[in-house]
Amino acid sequence: MRYALLVQGAPYSQQASHSALRFARAVVARGHTLSSVFFYHDGVYNAARLAAPPQDEPHLPDAWCELHAQHGTMLLVCIASALRRGLLDEREAARHGKSGHSLEPPFELTGLGQLIDLGQACDRLVTFSP
Amino acid sequence: MILHILNRAPGTSLVYRDALAGMGPEDRLLLIEDGVLGALPAQVRHFTPVLDRLFALREDLAARGLEGHCDATVQVVDVDGFVELTEEADKTVSWF
Repeated sequence: MRYALLVQGAPYSQQASHSALRFARAVVARGHTLSSVFFYHDGVYNAARLAAPPQDEPHLPDAWCELHAQHGTMLLVCIASALRRGLLDEREAARHGKSGHSLEPPFELTGLGQLIDLGQACDRLVTFSP
Repeated sequence: MILHILNRAPGTSLVYRDALAGMGPEDRLLLIEDGVLGALPAQVRHFTPVLDRLFALREDLAARGLEGHCDATVQVVDVDGFVELTEEADKTVSWF
């Protein structure tokens, strides 16, 4: 089956991101395709390029990137949620006159339309909220 | 059949009432995160209408030191079982 996840909880504040990651790993372990993870609301902080959690804690952004590298899962970030929280890729940083960027591939800034598409194209869309 | 997923304990949020009201006769309810507190014998009465379709996530019980303390009516599943529940359902609805 084709799965997609919607993550709306902030990493390290609520359990949602951890629950979603654990579920994501189980989905691929059972032989399913995990097409995309869509980060929305405070969930966009999962895409923070500069996240540097203590070494004895799970590194959520790296864990998502690993999922992308191993299984091709697209990491989609709601652009409206991200920009107002200071998460900008190089292009958006340039457009807004910012000196650095805080989000980079494999995370992609995208619109809510992508979430609607996921709901229609995937067999299952599972939401993890705070 | 819809899998409903609840992450709030009945003692701290009333959203479980909305979840129960939204459930069809075949639907299942999975308790995750703090929701697993609802699987304890002292709280499981809140889920009386769906006791035959009530599940709790083992990892979240274990993280709270509650594994083995669930009410006997609750079916405990691990994250693999969570995925299996989503396979068997037509879709999922998360309550939070």
